[in-house]
Amino acid sequence: MATEGSSAPAATPAAPSAAPTTPANTANPPATATAPAGTPQLTPAQLKAKAKAEKQARRAQAKEVKAAAAAAAPQPAPPGPDAKGGKGKGKQDAAQAGGTQPRTGTGPNLAHRPSMSGRRPSILVVEKDMRSSIPECFSHIPMAKRIPISQANKDVHPAVLVVGQQMATFAIKDSISRLGATLLAFRKVIEAYETPKGNSLSRHFVPHVLNPQIEYLTECRPMCFSMGNAIRLLKAKVNSFDIDTPEDEAKEGLLEMIDLFMNERITLAEFVISKNAAKQIYDGDIVLTYGRHRLVEKTFLKAKENGVDFAVSIIDDPYDRGGQELSKSLKEAGIPVYYSPNLGGLRHNVRRATNILLGAEAVFANGSVHAAAGTADVAVAATNTGKKVTALCETINFDRERVSVDALTYNEIDPEQHSSDGFRLLFDTTRDQYIAGVITEFESGTGNSPAQAILALLRKQEDPTIN
Amino acid sequence: MAPTHTSHAPSMEKLVKSLKGQPLEASIDAFIYLLKRRQVKGDDCAGATAHILRQVVAKSKWHDVEQLLFKVQSVGSRLVGAAPHEPVIGNIVRRVLGLIRDEASEERNAEDEFGSESASDIQTLAQVTGPPPAARPAPTPLARPPTLATAASFHASKSKSMFNLLSVVDAASAPLTAASTPLSQAAHTSINSLRPEVLDGIEEILDEINQADDQIAGFADIQIHPGDYVLAYLPSRTVERFLIKAASRRKFTVLFVSLEDSRSAAGEGAHAALRKKLDAHGVNTISLASNGLMAYMSRINKVVFSAKVVYQNGGLLVDSGASVAAQAAKAHSKPVIALGGVYKFCPEDPSDEIAGETGDSSTYVSYADGLKVDALEVENTVADYVPPELVDVYLTNLGPQTRHHLAAILADHYKAEDVGFSLIPGEV
Repeated sequence: MATEGSSAPAATPAAPSAAPTTPANTANPPATATAPAGTPQLTPAQLKAKAKAEKQARRAQAKEVKAAAAAAAPQPAPPGPDAKGGKGKGKQDAAQAGGTQPRTGTGPNLAHRPSMSGRRPSILVVEKDMRSSIPECFSHIPMAKRIPISQANKDVHPAVLVVGQQMATFAIKDSISRLGATLLAFRKVIEAYETPKGNSLSRHFVPHVLNPQIEYLTECRPMCFSMGNAIRLLKAKVNSFDIDTPEDEAKEGLLEMIDLFMNERITLAEFVISKNAAKQIYDGDIVLTYGRHRLVEKTFLKAKENGVDFAVSIIDDPYDRGGQELSKSLKEAGIPVYYSPNLGGLRHNVRRATNILLGAEAVFANGSVHAAAGTADVAVAATNTGKKVTALCETINFDRERVSVDALTYNEIDPEQHSSDGFRLLFDTTRDQYIAGVITEFESGTGNSPAQAILALLRKQEDPTIN
Repeated sequence: MAPTHTSHAPSMEKLVKSLKGQPLEASIDAFIYLLKRRQVKGDDCAGATAHILRQVVAKSKWHDVEQLLFKVQSVGSRLVGAAPHEPVIGNIVRRVLGLIRDEASEERNAEDEFGSESASDIQTLAQVTGPPPAARPAPTPLARPPTLATAASFHASKSKSMFNLLSVVDAASAPLTAASTPLSQAAHTSINSLRPEVLDGIEEILDEINQADDQIAGFADIQIHPGDYVLAYLPSRTVERFLIKAASRRKFTVLFVSLEDSRSAAGEGAHAALRKKLDAHGVNTISLASNGLMAYMSRINKVVFSAKVVYQNGGLLVDSGASVAAQAAKAHSKPVIALGGVYKFCPEDPSDEIAGETGDSSTYVSYADGLKVDALEVENTVADYVPPELVDVYLTNLGPQTRHHLAAILADHYKAEDVGFSLIPGEV
């Protein structure tokens, strides 16, 4: 109180003295003070409204010019300007007011996030520095990077910001955890969403709200295939709404879809896969696995629950060491564990094992399995020894468009192991000839279909219940 | 075993010096001690064994060839027993035994003018052309088909080979006495001239061991082409020399792989030096901090690593993890080049026990974490076996060899009666 009292008198004498010298400064306090009295003086809000009206007028003019131009020379992306126009009313700033014809033409991106265009170059420079040590022949492979929260696009929802950071730091690592976290964050985004006046959710939500979130997440770490699949389905759902669907109804529909999705494709899938896979473990088996995968761990615990007496042989990745955690949790459940810290004893381990269970990160349209680096080595060794290799994977991780025959097509560089003298890929690709079967949540009869039957599975997935 | 050159392990020169300064028995004991503690290991074993045997020939008392052979055999079996994981020791002992037999038979032939072939030569011929005599006891690995045996027969061969090597065999059933009987006729030959001959021969073996790496490197530019991406698994001295030699002629890219975290102190130093040398020649180096190698294999043109031993079936004893590299290369149909001097060719079959040798686990699991120590049955394999079908080229100091030619090389370098030398009851 005392300090405030002392500062206030100090401020009052300063104000009059400043007044004559800087008219700009003085303009404000009088304006607020005399607003009700003076008609010539405008409040800031009024000023803004006036500027907006002017801008709108200019815009309409530009649009007309543009329409004329479009008629003359066909322009790409016709829906862009429409959406932009709606958006522009909401949040254009003064700089945009000078928008001339070519400006509006160049694009939605520049128009709707001026701050982005400002910081882009700096990010690119940083990225170059970090990536400069990656050898030429691997330079096409992306790498997760930490983006300071302050540099993120202002449209990014806080929940998504957090998820992005967690992905960039690999606190959330595997495909399904990332998918789950993303969907939960999107749920928050949808809950917080309010359609601006004059817009409809089905037209406005995806380009102006959802896309910036997705862009941010992709910048933090390249999207995994399950995220891509989920986002595609989510967008399809949004597009399926009529333009005049009430906002509440649409939001309700989206939230419901996300809940259903998480229940069916994550929770239920995990349950069914582990149940089916556990049926393939028999008394006296020594089951070999690589690293730690959620589904494999669940399967072992489930088999133990079923009363099967078996042992697990874990080959770990020395750069990840997830196998140690797996080992702990299996030991707690009373399952005997052999632990190899690296692939060194691979031959010995494979020959001792009765069957091999591997967790997959994704499955490509050609049946190749995308999984933690080292998985392919285990699968090849096992197949060469005549052991059965089974991969576990939820159908949400199946990619029906992409095909990969080597590990350098789709991969990521491990940012942790990345230094000036070395690097490491996070994943590898196991060709279908090294995988005897993939267990998914479909095919409930056997729980096991060959990797080549992937397309048939995907057709099955074209189930009207989801979409 | 990963070549982590720890500071307390004596260098080769120091080792030889210290062995020379001691009485024979003491130096043998000291060497056995170092072998057991794995302070002498890998490529150093061959040279050190030759040095010790040279001392045995030079310093011990012997009056005829029989006695000398017996001495070398008994010291040899002690060394092999101390380090069953280093079959190269046995190779050197066999080489020295064969050398003694050759020299002795030369002496004898020079003396009596019969000019008949010595028994050992006949034996050798029999070995190459047909199955060995039935009288031969257990370890007759040359007769075994050079295929990878099933688990069951592996077990059988294991129980036959390494761990029974030192057990006492009924002297009557040991063929070696019989095989070498003709030599006893030569007992009266001048042993004075034999000693320097044998010492010279051992010196030659030492030269061969020392020059092997350079000779192998001489073939580098034939094997490595401009623009190649060469994967070097845990580059040993042999591989280093090979790469540096190739670098002086070719522009290519080397991808290093090490099993451990590349930032761990010991590996870093050795690698950094090699990288510097290669960089100086303008050869790109990339180090892969990875365990699995399938991911990189589509980019790689050939895989190079050095063998600790080449078994008679063509299989290799290698540093742990090299078989992962070989297997990944095979899956992608990329050639695998195994480097190793001819002295590493071993007239034995692989034993499962050796290939499953496990090592220190403390680098992987912190002993501070009681829960983990409790939960983990850590198997850190340090030596590994590469089956013959995964190896394309054996690059030796005699040039590139194929699997089908191995039997001839073995027959050239070892006497059949020395294959099971360590079965002789020694003065242990």
